[in-house]
Amino acid sequence: MIEAQPLQTLTVIRALSPLLFALLSLIVLARADRFGESSGAHTRDGNAAVLLLLGSSVAALLAGSGYASTLNVGLITVDPSEPGRLLVTLGGAVFALIVAVGQGRRAGAMGQVALFGLALIDLALAIPIGLAPIVILLVGSASLSALAAGNREDAQRARAVFRDLRTVGVLLTVIVVAELLRSAIPLSATDPSYATTSSLTAGVALTLSLVLLGMIGAFPFHHRLVRIFESLPIVGSLMVGVWIPAALSLIIFNELSLLSSSVSEPIGGAVVAALFITGTVTLLFGGVSALLHDDVGEVLGFLAVGNAGWLALGAAAIILHPSAVGPLLVALPGALVISLFGLWRISIRRPYELTSLQERRGRARRTRALGVVLICAAVSQTAVPVREFFSGGFDIAGQSGSLLITVGALLGTGALAAAAIRLLLVGLAQESQDVHRTRKGKVLSPAAIWLMASAILISGVAAGFINIEAAASGLLRTDPVESAPQNSTP
Amino acid sequence: MNPLLFELPLALVAALSGALAVTSARRAAWIALVLMATAAALLEFRPSDSLSPALLLRLTAIFGATLYALPPGLLAWRALAHDLQPRRLLATLTEHPVVAVSAVAGLILGTIPLALPIEGSSVLLRGAGVALLLIGLPPLLTSRYVEATARAAVVTLSGALLLRASILGALDLFSSIAIAAGFVALLLIGAAVAGQLTKAEE
Repeated sequence: MIEAQPLQTLTVIRALSPLLFALLSLIVLARADRFGESSGAHTRDGNAAVLLLLGSSVAALLAGSGYASTLNVGLITVDPSEPGRLLVTLGGAVFALIVAVGQGRRAGAMGQVALFGLALIDLALAIPIGLAPIVILLVGSASLSALAAGNREDAQRARAVFRDLRTVGVLLTVIVVAELLRSAIPLSATDPSYATTSSLTAGVALTLSLVLLGMIGAFPFHHRLVRIFESLPIVGSLMVGVWIPAALSLIIFNELSLLSSSVSEPIGGAVVAALFITGTVTLLFGGVSALLHDDVGEVLGFLAVGNAGWLALGAAAIILHPSAVGPLLVALPGALVISLFGLWRISIRRPYELTSLQERRGRARRTRALGVVLICAAVSQTAVPVREFFSGGFDIAGQSGSLLITVGALLGTGALAAAAIRLLLVGLAQESQDVHRTRKGKVLSPAAIWLMASAILISGVAAGFINIEAAASGLLRTDPVESAPQNSTP
Repeated sequence: MNPLLFELPLALVAALSGALAVTSARRAAWIALVLMATAAALLEFRPSDSLSPALLLRLTAIFGATLYALPPGLLAWRALAHDLQPRRLLATLTEHPVVAVSAVAGLILGTIPLALPIEGSSVLLRGAGVALLLIGLPPLLTSRYVEATARAAVVTLSGALLLRASILGALDLFSSIAIAAGFVALLLIGAAVAGQLTKAEE
């Protein structure tokens, strides 16, 4: 019993490591002003948050998702998953970089938003089944959105949080109804006078898809995403608009796959067709709008909308082919690509206090490191869809069975790539007066080298040129000796 | 105890207070919300011999979040007695006939089976659930007022949970914790955003 105590403590630490780091930030950041002068408290807060994010990332990688990390407390089981740990590992590093580059008065608070967001993602993906995982992500999204907005008297920010609150309120109700219908499926065989298995399955697919579309910001819910990117700080925007939806999409894809494979006949109704059309329209809409808009926040929001189009197409493909792996491969690279654009946005915010793209003409030539970040973002934005199309993701457009959907998806992808390249070209154009007046950035300063190296690494991972996933999976893979059930027979 | 004697008054209280929570203003709305949430939680978890941890958690979350979200000075006794006069509450309901009719229609609709395998389901729970859904959903989708939207979200979610409980029983512990956190988040974020918008507009 006494020997079991340290082992149980170690299991708790392994299972809940991202959450423990997030809770630790509450203690560390509250005491930052006790060390040194009060004028440097914000910088110390930011540095502490960066260290905690990196610590959370490394801890998630080391703790892994094996049997030794599974925590059982009474009726509650927390079983960390490989995708969850991978999201924390990569997310911790990406957000640490963004917080470090962004600095500012609220760097510590933004670090906490990232820490708690990653902890919620890890926890949600560690809960086997039921209402809880999706509810955790929905509630977490609304809470982090409010936390990121802060208590500034900014009506635009407050309205963005209000919109998020309304969306989450509706989606919480929808997910309860989805769970009710799903639980009724096995009972539907008892009496033919009740709803049939097919109709209940279609109902569950419809409600789950609605939750997915609402959260990822696919058309017609795209306004939420654009307003988030326009008004919230970049860490909050990325967490609420991209990372939490990526985790949610993994859970819902898994649910849809299980649902679809559990019934013999194809899921009826117009669910699949609606998802294909929504995905294609979202891709086209996001790409074309990103090309037409000039405000950096809006452009970033529309690039995220385009990414949501891929996820909607993925949901349709997974209902048709439950064993398809392509859709599952879209979520993480998509989050990394948009994060890279976020990194670029926060990098140019400090030297150029402008929100218009045209007013920032020539910035990439002026500050070379930012040019490299943007090239990396453009490369990964172009490479991710191509990679997904021609490897696992080919099923996404190919499985629609409609030429129109395939052509529309390809056009949308082209528009998104063109929008990314446009950002680069505007950056390389003749310098505007505002940009010309700013101090020229040093290419070989340690900060610039770090920024460029990190951007190349992130884009490499996002585009699949660097296979961090495989390396992490090797470390995260369950130990076959440890994972064997205690009472298993040979 | 006869289930009808336990469920009928609670279902009526839940529907009536749910209607008042989305139609009244200030004190009456908050008191009605607490009453609705308590009645819905009691219906959902059906305490018989002992109180379940999930019920205690739900009630603590709702009471705690409401106390935190209440604007200051709202619990002054004299003003409370004035706002909660039955005549005033009745006048509020008659000013919003659509909501009142939705509550009654929901209770009646709940008696009709949902074409789901509901052999074990309770008609009164289903009625209260449908009533709360019908009451809460329209303001949740359309209201321009933040606090009213947050209250409507709580009413709607309570209705969906009652509907679920009428067929599948109460939630498991982990889901109960997540849903309790959801109620707290809805109320606290609503109060915080309402405060920010008021300050920004001033």
